Amino acid sequence: MDFGRPQQGERVRLRMRNLYILPTRFGWLWLAGTVLLQVIGVQMQSNGTLLLSFLMLSLFLLTLHLTHFNLQGVELGCGAPAPGFAGDPVPYPIRLRCPGRSEGVRLRLGGEAAGPPLSLPPGEHELTVAWRPPGRGWHQPGLLRVQTTAPLGLFCCWSRWYPGAAQLIYPARRAGPVRLLAGGSAPLAGEPAVASRQDGSDDWRDLAPHRPQDSPSRLAWKLLAQGRGEYAKRFLDQPETAPRLAPDPGLPLEVALEHLSERIWNYHGRGLSYGLELSGQSVAPGRGLAHRDQCLAALACCR
Amino acid sequence: MSRAAAPLQWLTMGLLAVGLLGLSPALSLSLLAFGLAVLTALKLREARSLEERRLVALLQLVGAGLLAALRPELGPSLLQGLAILLALAGLLALELGAGPDWKALMRRSLQVLLAALPIALVLFLLLPRLMPFSNLGTGQGMGVMTGLSDSMEPGSIARLSVSRAAAARVAFPLGGGPPPLGQRFWRVLVHQRFDGRRWRSTAPPLPRPAAGQPTPPPPAAPGEGIQLWLVEPSGLAAVPWSGAGRPLSPDLTLQRSGELLNRAPGSQRRVYALTQTADPGDWRSQPPGPIDLVLPRGENPRLEALAAEWRRLGSDRQRLNAAGSWFRSQPFRYTLEPGALPRQAPLDRFLFETRLGFCGHYASAFTTLMRAAGVPARVVSGYRGGQWVQPVGGSGYVDLRQADAHAWSEVWLQGEGWQRVDPTAWADGDPLASAVTTSETATGTAPWDWLQRQWWGLDIAWARWWLGYDSEQQQALVQRLLGDQRHLLGLVVLLAVAISLAASLGGLGWLGRRRSGDPLRLELEHTLRAFARHGLAPQAGETLPVFAQRLMQRWPALAGPLNAYVANYQRQRFASTPSRTGRRQAQRLGRALRRSLRTGNLPKEAVQREHP
Repeated sequence: MDFGRPQQGERVRLRMRNLYILPTRFGWLWLAGTVLLQVIGVQMQSNGTLLLSFLMLSLFLLTLHLTHFNLQGVELGCGAPAPGFAGDPVPYPIRLRCPGRSEGVRLRLGGEAAGPPLSLPPGEHELTVAWRPPGRGWHQPGLLRVQTTAPLGLFCCWSRWYPGAAQLIYPARRAGPVRLLAGGSAPLAGEPAVASRQDGSDDWRDLAPHRPQDSPSRLAWKLLAQGRGEYAKRFLDQPETAPRLAPDPGLPLEVALEHLSERIWNYHGRGLSYGLELSGQSVAPGRGLAHRDQCLAALACCR
Repeated sequence: MSRAAAPLQWLTMGLLAVGLLGLSPALSLSLLAFGLAVLTALKLREARSLEERRLVALLQLVGAGLLAALRPELGPSLLQGLAILLALAGLLALELGAGPDWKALMRRSLQVLLAALPIALVLFLLLPRLMPFSNLGTGQGMGVMTGLSDSMEPGSIARLSVSRAAAARVAFPLGGGPPPLGQRFWRVLVHQRFDGRRWRSTAPPLPRPAAGQPTPPPPAAPGEGIQLWLVEPSGLAAVPWSGAGRPLSPDLTLQRSGELLNRAPGSQRRVYALTQTADPGDWRSQPPGPIDLVLPRGENPRLEALAAEWRRLGSDRQRLNAAGSWFRSQPFRYTLEPGALPRQAPLDRFLFETRLGFCGHYASAFTTLMRAAGVPARVVSGYRGGQWVQPVGGSGYVDLRQADAHAWSEVWLQGEGWQRVDPTAWADGDPLASAVTTSETATGTAPWDWLQRQWWGLDIAWARWWLGYDSEQQQALVQRLLGDQRHLLGLVVLLAVAISLAASLGGLGWLGRRRSGDPLRLELEHTLRAFARHGLAPQAGETLPVFAQRLMQRWPALAGPLNAYVANYQRQRFASTPSRTGRRQAQRLGRALRRSLRTGNLPKEAVQREHP
C-alpha cells in the first residue's frame, strides 16, 4: 500500500486527513473465508460455523478500527540527524509521540526495506531508520512511509511524509591514493608553524632531582652508582610532522574526495594528526573528534 | 514475527487433529476437513514468510469452522473454541514483533476475541437464517454402530454382551417428565417381515429426501410439553421416540407403522424435538396389512399346534390372554446367555425345551405364536427403561444406554388398535422388573459416573440452547424483541452492531490505558480524585504532606487515615526497592481513606451548613 498525498514539514500529526487504510490481500482472503464458512454454516445448519463466520466478520470490523488507532494521533518529527557516510546505510532519527499504545509500527525511508514491526508504549520515542544516501552533501532522506497491519494483518494503515531535516553526508570511504603535503612546509598566516615540543619518552634531554613519584626506570643509575645522588632522566618527544592531506590531482574530484574520507577516518582511528587542504578551504593540522568531523564536513561540502 | 508464533500454530494444528479424530470418514464433508487439515499442516511446515503464515492461520480458522459443522457437540465445540483462540493468538504473534511472550499473546488474543464476540452474537441472534441451498450432504454415510439393527435374529445369538455405551438422552424442558419406569418404552424400529428365523424392518434404510424445501412443522402449542432427544450415532434412519407426540423438527417424518425417521445422517449425533402429549399417535389406529400375518408354515410344528388351540377362541383379546397365561405358567427364565438355537424348528426348541432367552427370543416367539393364532402382530425394537438423571442445576433427563435396547411385540386388537405386549415381562428374572422393585439408585454410584452424568446434563442443555437455536427460534426472538415492527429489523441490527462495536473499542481502549503507569501513582490519583470531588485539589508546588494538612483542617475526623496513608505513600515512594506488599497496603489504606471520606464527613458537612 503506497499511495496518497505525502505530507511536508518538520512535524506532522497523523489524523483522519493524512492516514490511509485499506484491507490487505490477506484481509480480502479473510472475507472470502468468512463467506465460505457462512455457506457451510447455512448448508449444514450449523450454529458453530455460523457463529465463527460472524465472529470473523466482526473481527474484520473491529480490526479496521484497531489498526487505525495504532497510528491515529501519532506525531512524527525529525530528530537531529548525525552525519553519515555515503555508500553505507545511514541512520536517520525520527521522533514519534504516541498518544496510546501503537502496535506493529513499521518505518521505511526511500526505497529501503521496511524495518521490523515495533510495539510502542504511549509517550515519546526516538527511532532510527536506515536509508542509503545517493551521494555527499546535505540531503533530505526522501519519503518516509509509516505503516502498520497490527493486530491481525487484515488492514494496512499507512501515511507518507517527507521529513524536513536534512542530513550531512560525507563522501564514501574508499582506500586510495591521497596527495600528502609536508607538514609545516607551507604554514598559513595566523597559525603556529610548528606544534610545541612536549615532554615524552623519545629523546634524553636533561636530568632532574629524583622525586619519589618518578618511575624507577627513569632513575639515572650510573650517577647513583657513582654516588652523585638520585637523579631522574628527562626525555623529550619529537613532534610528528603532521601531514596535510589534499586530493590527488590525477583523479576525478569525487574519487579523490572518497580517498580523502577514508584516509581521514584511518588517521583518526590511529590517533594521528593531520590537516586538510582543499581548493578554496583548508583545515589546520590537528586531531580529535571535532577536528575529524570538521575535515569530513569540509569534504562533504567541497565544490 | 514473534518466536511464539510457530509453536502456537503447531499447537492449533494439534487441536484440530484431535478434533478430526472422531469424524466418520464416510461423510464427504469430513473427507474435505481431513484434506484441509493435511494441506494446512504441510503449508505450515514449508511456510517461511509472513504472508504464508497468515494464510495458515486463516486455513486453521476455516478448518475449525468445518469441524464445528461436523461435530457440534459440547466437548468438540470447546476444543474448537480453544483452537480458534490459539489460531488468533498465532496470527497476533505474527504481527506484534518479537516482544510479547505467550501469556501476553494469549491475553491479547482473548481480549480481541471477547471484543469481537458481542458483534458476532448480535449478527448471529438477529440476522434471519437462510435455509440450506439444497439437500446435499444429508442422508449419506450410514455407519453400523448400535445394538439396534433393522434385522433381528435372536436364535443365532448364543451370548449377548451388554454395552454400557450411551445411546440417547431425552429431556423434557417444558416440564412434565417421563412415564414411570415400568412404562418407559422408546420405540425405534418396527419389524414386520418374518422369514421363519429373522425379523426385518420394512422402513427404507435411507429416507427419501424431501422434494424441495422441507416445510417446518408448526411449533408446539402453549400447553404442550416437549421431548428433546439427543441420539448418539446409530447408522439408522429411525430414531427413538415415546410413541406419542408430534414432530417439531423439519428433519423428522412419521411413518404409518409408528417409526420416526430422521433425514439427518445417521453417522452423526442427531438432535430433534417432538411435542409431548399423553394421547397416542395416529399410527396406533392404522389397520394391519397382510404382512402382519405372514408366517412360513411348518417351520415350528409344536408352536403351530399350540396356536391352533387358541385360534378356536372367539376374540383376539381372548387369544392374547390365553397366550399370556400360558407364558406365565411355563418356567421361562431371562438370560443373556441362552445358547444358539438350531436351524430346524428354533422356536419350538425355545418355547418347549430350553425356555431360556432374552428379549429378542420372547418377542420373536410371542409374535410368531400370535400370527399363528390369527392375530396380526409385529416385533418392535427400541429401548426400555432408562435412568432418570437430575444434574446439579438444569433440567433432568432420561439416560438411555445400549444395554437398555429391547424388543417387544405389538398386536392388533379389533377396536383397540395396536397394543404393546412385552412378553419378556412374563419371564423370570426380567431386568426391568427387578429395576422397578429396587428403584433406580442401583447403578452408577461411582464418582466417575456422577461426573459423566453432570457432563451429559450440560450436554443436553447445550443441545437445547445452542444446537436448538434454529430459524424458528430466531424468528421467535425477533418477534419478542420487535413485535409487529419487524420492518425495523435491518435498522436495529445495524444499530446494535454499531453500539457493540463502540462498546468493544471503548473496552479495549480502557484495558489498554488501565495497566499503564506506576500503580502507586495510580492509587494516589484515584484518592486525589475523591477529594477533588469535594472541591479540594493540590495546588501547584504543594507537597502531599502539606496538602494532607489542608485536608485535615477541613475534615479533622480524617486525620488518622490521612496520616497513615501519607506516611505509607512516602515510605513506598522513596523505598529503595518497591515491594508488592507495600503497594497492597497503599491500596488498602487508600480504600479506607476514601471510605471514611464518604461516610465520615457527610453529617459534619450537614451540620456546618446548618450553622453557617
